[in-house]
Amino acid sequence: MAKTDPARTTKERQSKAEKGAADPLPASLTKSDYQELLLQLYLARYFDVRLIKEKKRGRLRGTLYSSHNQEAILVGSLFGLRPTDWISPIHRDMPAFFLKDMRAGWSNPNRSGMSIEEVCGQVWGKVGSPGRARDNWSHIGSTKHKIIHSTSMLAGTIPAACGVVLADRLDGKDSVALTFNGEGSTAQGVFHEAINFASVHKLPVVTIVENNQWAFGTPAHLEYALEDFARRADGYGIPGLIADGQDVIDVYEKVSEAVAWARSGKGPSIVECKSFRAYGHGDHDDDRAAKYRPKDEVKAGRSRDPIGIMKEKMIELGYLSQKEAEKYPVEGKGANDLTDEDFPKQVVEYLAKGVEFAIASPVPPPEEGAMWVFREVE
Amino acid sequence: MALIENTEKVNYLNALREAIFEEFELNENFIAIGEDIGLLGGAFGVTDGLQARFGTDRVYDAPISEATIVGTACGLCLNGKRAMVEMQFIDFISCGFDQIVNMVATYHYRTAGEVSIPMVIRGPAGAYGGGALYHSQMNEAWFANSPGLKIVCPSTPADAKGLLKSALRDPNPVIFYEIKELYRKRQIEEPVERGDASLVPLGKAKVRREGSDVTIVTYGQNVYHCLDAANNLKAEGFEAEVIDLRTLVPLDKQTVIESMTKTNRLVVVNEAPRTCGFAGEVLANVAEEAFELLDAPPVRISRMDTPVPWAKPLEMHVLPSVESITEAALRTCRY
Repeated sequence: MAKTDPARTTKERQSKAEKGAADPLPASLTKSDYQELLLQLYLARYFDVRLIKEKKRGRLRGTLYSSHNQEAILVGSLFGLRPTDWISPIHRDMPAFFLKDMRAGWSNPNRSGMSIEEVCGQVWGKVGSPGRARDNWSHIGSTKHKIIHSTSMLAGTIPAACGVVLADRLDGKDSVALTFNGEGSTAQGVFHEAINFASVHKLPVVTIVENNQWAFGTPAHLEYALEDFARRADGYGIPGLIADGQDVIDVYEKVSEAVAWARSGKGPSIVECKSFRAYGHGDHDDDRAAKYRPKDEVKAGRSRDPIGIMKEKMIELGYLSQKEAEKYPVEGKGANDLTDEDFPKQVVEYLAKGVEFAIASPVPPPEEGAMWVFREVE
Repeated sequence: MALIENTEKVNYLNALREAIFEEFELNENFIAIGEDIGLLGGAFGVTDGLQARFGTDRVYDAPISEATIVGTACGLCLNGKRAMVEMQFIDFISCGFDQIVNMVATYHYRTAGEVSIPMVIRGPAGAYGGGALYHSQMNEAWFANSPGLKIVCPSTPADAKGLLKSALRDPNPVIFYEIKELYRKRQIEEPVERGDASLVPLGKAKVRREGSDVTIVTYGQNVYHCLDAANNLKAEGFEAEVIDLRTLVPLDKQTVIESMTKTNRLVVVNEAPRTCGFAGEVLANVAEEAFELLDAPPVRISRMDTPVPWAKPLEMHVLPSVESITEAALRTCRY
């Protein structure tokens, strides 16, 4: 794989694209793409903020694993996918369920991603969700939308990702699977097994490592002994890319490169997205995380807000004025300091539809708890 | 398709092989994946010739990665395929345990019936052959305690073929215990049907020997120990009914209870460890649903709560034997 030239700036790439130069790298983004990406970042942030508030008010069951400060990884990696591609998000990736194939139109009923209604139905534990609220929020999925259901056993969906794309390949389709993993899950045996298997069979599986520096209460230096986790790829004979997980454009470019590599039949790769977990492991852990993580580290880790970074890029490119950039100043702020007024109207209204649907949807009848263990034999 | 030259009598292994070839022929969505199953044809030869016949796109030699073998098969099933996974020894299934009980077994439940995983995980199982701790296990109880998995264990060539075909057609994941000591056992060779005529439904027990004095319930290799014990009992004047469960999940309680209406006595035999072994499950079901039928305390005969040791005297000491079954059944009959 051609390594991305680190000296190449967004501006250079953009100007090259505008001149119509042939670019071997992923399709260059237009102004409206940038605007859409920024809006998606706002949506992912707002979804998280809203859930934190709902959870604090005692309206939701279960645990919230905040994706705050890691939105660029989800938005950037999903933006270049095709509707026919597969993903396997994990617990911290809730926005991924509705961000998949969002370019087909946020409310397009035919897009290859979940509707906000389905996702909210699940969060609120209602029957109007895929799976009828049988497993918790973060484990939803939909084979129809090509989203693999995860379990709590992390890295456990990488083998399934191998299987779905192998099936597609046998059927003559060129789909790619993106698997999402925290850096903590990379120590699981199955992480090694599955990537080894994918590399042996040159399967189009891109393993995204959301390196947020903390696996629950264990810091990264106690999880693996590499400076850059991406170097682990060398052992499998596959490319290992490093993306700035706070920079949605960099994530988009690196993941798109990996996806193009996979789709062309060259096999799997690992994309390490360097980031930082904003809060505790789950909302139950926020208070303790404030103690077990050094204050300076948290301050530095949260200083590079993906929304702020995207705004700077857009200002640099002339896609956003300073005044527009100041209109929704959510960057650097926690959920408690934000209200609906801080977010673009389109984002607030979109989620409102989902929440409204979820609240109106009934809870599952108790007897469903005993159903669907087996499929009846026809 | 003439896989077997001698059409009169087929051994247990070739019966399995015939089932796999027939189903792979009928349904091109079947993919096989396992260790050494392609080029080599399997450690015991159950898949001998399968890759040559159906190609490397349908028969995969996997690295030694049981979790990924099962998980990849799960992904294949999520996307329109059917999968047959071979565990080189059923003992190695522990390395794929999480994928089986958490990913595969629960998929239909988690998705409220949207997605089922049509997967068979099969492999050689059982003791009595000097396989020692890690080539002798019967670990069916682990999976019986994991909702969402069917469990099958045939004891004859005809059942091996018929049950495997049914398992391969089932929409649910099935763990299929093949008794490796029976693979090439000459004494049990028998004619098997071809095609659909050979099908044996899952969930139906079979009465192997009729009798009216005691019901002996078992499966797998112990079927033969129980039949020998029944001959011993006959010499003592008692007629034992021997029931081969064939499928553990779903359990055919009805056949057991019907037999007990005649015999009013129950002995359950399995070669797995005693505590939380499947024999205990059969006993519990009878105690709950047919307590009034019991004229004597029901009895479990199982392996002691030990691993399977290697040296022959040690192995035989901890496992059920014709003698231990005979003795227990006699005590029950004379109670």
